[in-house]
Amino acid sequence: MNKIYRAKSIITMNPNQPRATHIAVRDGHILAVGDASTIDQWQASWGEMDIDTQFADNTLLPGFVEGHSHMMEGLFWQYEYVGFYDREGPDGTVHAGLTSIDGVVARLRAINQAREDQTAPLIAWGFDPIFFEGRRMSKADLDGVSTECAVIVLHASLHILNTNSFVMDKAGVTAGDNNEHVRRDEDGQPSGEFLGQLGMYMAMRTTGLDLLGAAGSAQTLVNFANVARQTGVTTATDLANPLPEKDVETMRQTVNQDDFPMRLVVAFQGSGGDPEAGVAHIQGLQDKQSDKLRFSLVKLVADGSIQGFSARLKWPGYFNGADNGLWYIEPERLKDLVAAYNAAGIQIHIHTNGDECTEVALDAIEAALRAAPWADHRHTLQHCQMANRAQFKRMAKLGVGVNLFSNHLYYWGDAHISTTMGPERAARLDDAGGALAEGVPVAIHSDAPVTALAPLFTAWCAVNRRSSQGVQLGGDTEKLSVAQALRAITLGAAYSLRMDGEIGSLEVGKRADMAILADDPLSVDPEGLKDIDVCGTMVGGRVHMNAKPDA
Amino acid sequence: MSTTSIPVTIIAGFLGCGKTSLLNHLLANAKGRRLAALVNDFGALNIDSELIAAQNGNQISLANGCVCCSIGDDLTKALAEVMMQSTRPDHIVIEASGVADPARIAAFTQVDRDLRLDGIVTLVDATAHHLHADDPHLADNYHRQVTAAHFLLISKTDLVAEGTVQSLETTLQQAKPETPIAAIAHGQFDSDIILGLGVDAPHETPLSDAIRHDFRHWAGHMPAHVPRADVIAALATLAPNLLRAKGVLADDDGAYVLHYAGGQVTTSAFDGVPSGHFVLIGKPDLPNNEDLDALLKKQKECA
Repeated sequence: MNKIYRAKSIITMNPNQPRATHIAVRDGHILAVGDASTIDQWQASWGEMDIDTQFADNTLLPGFVEGHSHMMEGLFWQYEYVGFYDREGPDGTVHAGLTSIDGVVARLRAINQAREDQTAPLIAWGFDPIFFEGRRMSKADLDGVSTECAVIVLHASLHILNTNSFVMDKAGVTAGDNNEHVRRDEDGQPSGEFLGQLGMYMAMRTTGLDLLGAAGSAQTLVNFANVARQTGVTTATDLANPLPEKDVETMRQTVNQDDFPMRLVVAFQGSGGDPEAGVAHIQGLQDKQSDKLRFSLVKLVADGSIQGFSARLKWPGYFNGADNGLWYIEPERLKDLVAAYNAAGIQIHIHTNGDECTEVALDAIEAALRAAPWADHRHTLQHCQMANRAQFKRMAKLGVGVNLFSNHLYYWGDAHISTTMGPERAARLDDAGGALAEGVPVAIHSDAPVTALAPLFTAWCAVNRRSSQGVQLGGDTEKLSVAQALRAITLGAAYSLRMDGEIGSLEVGKRADMAILADDPLSVDPEGLKDIDVCGTMVGGRVHMNAKPDA
Repeated sequence: MSTTSIPVTIIAGFLGCGKTSLLNHLLANAKGRRLAALVNDFGALNIDSELIAAQNGNQISLANGCVCCSIGDDLTKALAEVMMQSTRPDHIVIEASGVADPARIAAFTQVDRDLRLDGIVTLVDATAHHLHADDPHLADNYHRQVTAAHFLLISKTDLVAEGTVQSLETTLQQAKPETPIAAIAHGQFDSDIILGLGVDAPHETPLSDAIRHDFRHWAGHMPAHVPRADVIAALATLAPNLLRAKGVLADDDGAYVLHYAGGQVTTSAFDGVPSGHFVLIGKPDLPNNEDLDALLKKQKECA
């Protein structure tokens, strides 16, 4: 089916034709890009085409590409959202932000009382205490929700959770349990807040639920895609997934449906186990791919998180004097893994948060490339939040790309200044400007559901570099321009997934994937970038409109 | 934690330090315990196929009742899966990754009333200790593992000179004076001791004092020929401060293995050449080393 869409404006990301007003689509691909004056020529060559004016007031961009997200975003919408900010669910419902602990308790109590089975576990997510001055959530708060069922509140960071007494009694947590991951109240009693894997384990044992698992369900995928659609995303990633056969089948049956509004790139979780088996697993999935579903990457997680003090930092380490973080993969083993996947021609994305970890990851990549040279490997460092200019230079020389966690500037910028890194290193947090200046291919990401999936917000973070308390991190050398940020959330992320030949810009022959916006992001005040309404998306020529906010 | 809680032993140490050999040894010498071993890599274990009763996904069942579970990327999940199975093991052994902080893994036992920490056993590689202790990327991990240990095993001692083992033992003793240290080769060490550290045993340890660091350890060579009655009499003078003892000795009735555990001495015939090696683990109130040397007629250490 051929169609010409007329828009108010089209931002193409094609340097030789940056703007257009008309775009012709055939068989899911872009047939022509131009303006009113070129339509006659198109019709003469390609035959009669209807002109569709439904986007006459909209600005069209290449569909946004989220290069680092998790399918878990779709899972979490099966739990209760209790975050600070309004957040739009997969069905278009806006879940109002909760601005106090009492507000969270009241919402959960109401939900519980409306449930048929009030003994089933009640799980909530998105809680973010950094916005609440003063006290922290306690088990007494959550006992106010219920004492008859497990109540578990996951923090936005996913590294912390709160529970009620029901869970603690069932687990057998006592006052004597002495561990840095059991937070205590002023009286020295366990407060109900648990850090890291400890909390996840307790939740799993007391409820039987893997709170971060169940990624294989069709409902999770559909939720994920619908959240993506609302934010203009047409290609998202799941970094990473063990990709068992059953889940791969569910993905194929769900994602390949015509009305599923998103392409999905799933990275194989390669941190554990034998790399030879991992290579074989990925190779075995190559013929199960489609134009909408890819299994082309391996992801390795080499350290922890900065705000969790589990990232590996170079000297002088954490600003508050905390011990250095943990390797999630031994440096020596990382070398073996990178060498094996590189030699097999499989693109590697490595999670590195701290600058010591970034250095070790680059050592591993350099050694692997000496052993098995590969000119266009596009190995990518994910997060890479503390990299300095010397490391970016090295990345450029090695052909390594970066996908920076720009949303951190807003969500944890203040904590990085005061506690984790101190002001100097926080000034170069997620230094997208520096990376570009040194010649590193740049993408930026949300790590959803850790922060909200919303590329225009991520672009706003990279452009304005402002924390939630309104403090600017770094200066103009670290900032991206709006045009650079828009490129990072389209072509930049597509490049990191080796898909820039088919998506990421609006050019003849590429897939007809578009974000449909109410305003022109290059014309609005850079401050307003995050507030532009996303009206919907087009994926492979198929239009998926969002519910109107007032509908 | 309840009296029926399952003891958990954590085996820590760097890549290549011999954790797999020790795990193999424990699985082969489970002595009736149904162990669940959570391991990083099945392949490395190299279990004799004749011993495998069944393999199902990420779990291998052995003929002796033990199971091996692959940790994959998620220890949390692997441990929870073991605990949610209908048949629970008698004892869980977790192979920590080479750079894990074993104290963090031990913390799982505090939020599961069905688990208790039996002990953290850290292996220190006699052939590579200096590489780990001096590596700028690894030194802090190395010290974390040593600090967390309730029992330190110097591994691969057959590959280095005697003096190297002794100086390493001195270094470790200075770093952790309260922690027993033993030297091993090929992962061979008495499984009753490794699995019997009893750090968080329900009958004697209040929760507020959950992790103790107060073991004494004595190891040496006794005379090759010792009547078992003499050894039993000597051990009797050490109770109640003695927790475990083991030796392979000989008397007029032939070579024998002597065990002391739970206040009971058992001896059994040994088919082989007795080494005379004797190990004690006890409370801090055990006599000092010189007195123990005298009591057990310690012989000059031989290579």
